[in-house]
Amino acid sequence: MKASVGLLPEYIVGISILVTMVAAMIRPHGSTLKSWIALIGTLGGLWATIDLWTKPVHPALFFNQSLTVDNYSLFVNVLVLIAAGSTLLLGWSGEREYDEFPVLVLISALGMMSLGMVANLITLFLGIEVLSLPLYVLASSHRNTLGGEAGLKYLLLGAFSSGILLFGLALLYGAAGTMNFVNFASVAHIHSPLLAAGLMLTLVGLLFKLGIVPFHMWIPDVYEGSPTSVTNFMAFGTKVGAAVILLRLLAYGFYMSGPNWGPVLGYLALLTMIVGNLLALPQNDLKRLFGYSGIGHAGFLLIGVAVHTAVGAKAMLFYLLPYGLAVIGAFAILTMMGNKESITIQDLRGMARQKPWAAALFIVFMFSFAGIPLTGGFVGKLYLLQAALFAHQPGLAIGLVLGTFLGLGAYLRPLQAMFRTSPGESNLKGWNVGWGHVVVLVVALIGTVGLGVYPTPVVHLVGQSANFFWLH
Amino acid sequence: MVGIIIVAILAIGASIGVVTARQPVHSALYLVGNILSLALLYLMLKAEFLAAAQVIVYAGAIMVLFLFVVTLLTAGKEERELPEDLPGQRIVAGVLSGLVGVVFAVLAIKYPGPVIKAPLPSHFGNLTGMGRLLWGPDFVYLTAIAIMLVSAALGVMVLNPPRKRRQIEAGDSEQQKSQTSPETAKKEREGTG
Repeated sequence: MKASVGLLPEYIVGISILVTMVAAMIRPHGSTLKSWIALIGTLGGLWATIDLWTKPVHPALFFNQSLTVDNYSLFVNVLVLIAAGSTLLLGWSGEREYDEFPVLVLISALGMMSLGMVANLITLFLGIEVLSLPLYVLASSHRNTLGGEAGLKYLLLGAFSSGILLFGLALLYGAAGTMNFVNFASVAHIHSPLLAAGLMLTLVGLLFKLGIVPFHMWIPDVYEGSPTSVTNFMAFGTKVGAAVILLRLLAYGFYMSGPNWGPVLGYLALLTMIVGNLLALPQNDLKRLFGYSGIGHAGFLLIGVAVHTAVGAKAMLFYLLPYGLAVIGAFAILTMMGNKESITIQDLRGMARQKPWAAALFIVFMFSFAGIPLTGGFVGKLYLLQAALFAHQPGLAIGLVLGTFLGLGAYLRPLQAMFRTSPGESNLKGWNVGWGHVVVLVVALIGTVGLGVYPTPVVHLVGQSANFFWLH
Repeated sequence: MVGIIIVAILAIGASIGVVTARQPVHSALYLVGNILSLALLYLMLKAEFLAAAQVIVYAGAIMVLFLFVVTLLTAGKEERELPEDLPGQRIVAGVLSGLVGVVFAVLAIKYPGPVIKAPLPSHFGNLTGMGRLLWGPDFVYLTAIAIMLVSAALGVMVLNPPRKRRQIEAGDSEQQKSQTSPETAKKEREGTG
């Protein structure tokens, strides 16, 4: 397969970055042309990905073995493009004040897409950086105290974690003498302490991006200070990028040394599930609540990596989809509540009476987060539970159930507030619904309920795409 | 080998100086020392072009910029450090990072990586070799870095917008629906205002 065929989705997104930039330059301030071009580029990338999927795709290596295109990377493309498209739609009117918003979103999406097909250490680092740099800017794009704090915190901590990641990659190269994941497979069974040290530092860098517990401090503050649509992108896209590169690196590059890194990730997953969901309980700001619950969900995702089986990989990959759909749905409702600095639980009061449809949708997405049956989140959690039990890890299964219960408490608090009548004037003054919100809500609702009621086709696709390593 | 150890000690010492120096100017000068010792390391590894670029770009251009900013920002200001929330955290962090560094050094000496006995490729380390790599097999990395730089440039635009646009924003937030006031329109016509 030629590179122009296999990398067509990335090429389309790359070209639309340039065209969007030109459109942002030549059109007057506030024009929607750039957003349209960016959206068309996203949809074009999605179309090219689906088109590639229907062709018989064999894993193909491009550019001197630095990028792999297989079903795994195509599935990641779909997830990332859903995240990018929803971000563009949610930021359609709110982020109009600066013209570079669509360009930065697309650049970050390109980095996430490249993380799905990383095949050597250099592209790993470059993918992480292409993902992060636009997000540093987007996080601080609201010029107020919270926005500045979010951007600076994210930048400084992200730079440190990138440094640690880079040091780890250098040690890996020094210990293994190769950059390519394919060759790691043949050397990684050597129990070299230097290799272990390098892998440890690399994991620290990647787990920081995913938001696993000892490295999770940045998430609530950054989520709180960023504009809501950007928070949506970080909650979905960044988690997808970090989770898939973690799975690819460990289950493909280091699949022989699973007994070494598996237990570490297992304990971290346990800690993350409990701590993330526990800290979500007392939050009042909804974006902070989603931040902490996102930490908890990252812990759930880590189960799939830690068990180191094909079932686990499939479960993790599947879980990303219902989680992401619930994220975009919930954040669509948050952006509909107007351009406020922060949205607290008290702002939701009386929503069930005043805006019953939006309240009903919010309940569906919250149930999906919590893992109530007939939503996608339930099926995702079921597969993760199955993966933990099949791998004879009852501790992880118990942690999953415990974390789910804690999370349920956190998600029920906003729902309870919605059914309270608000004294005096309405809290929902800045309520505005654009067509973008409607599109995102429809996609999220169909996806969430569809995955909960009839997940078989998606499970089949995920099963195809998680077959990138040779565990069996 | 001895030369590499000496240069490495120089580099580490200089980087410790960057962190511990009280005056920003001293930090910047320590950074110059660090950059120069890194350039020496590159030279010992037969990467002449990287060494030259390191000196010219970092020690030459970027450090001058640093010093310029330092003199602009801190001229005549007495820097007083804020009290720390966690007393003694710097000492603990320093001791821990020193320990980690020692562990890594011991690991690297005790268990060295595989020795690759391939001869150096032709044009290794000079401009021709770099160009052939960057515009040949490694072109995709160059593209990725180009995209990163584009996003950095866009970031400057977003975080520090031109004055004209800032005025428009201020006008937007003050009077949401109404037309731009004659004053701003006049300023726009005049240019930067």
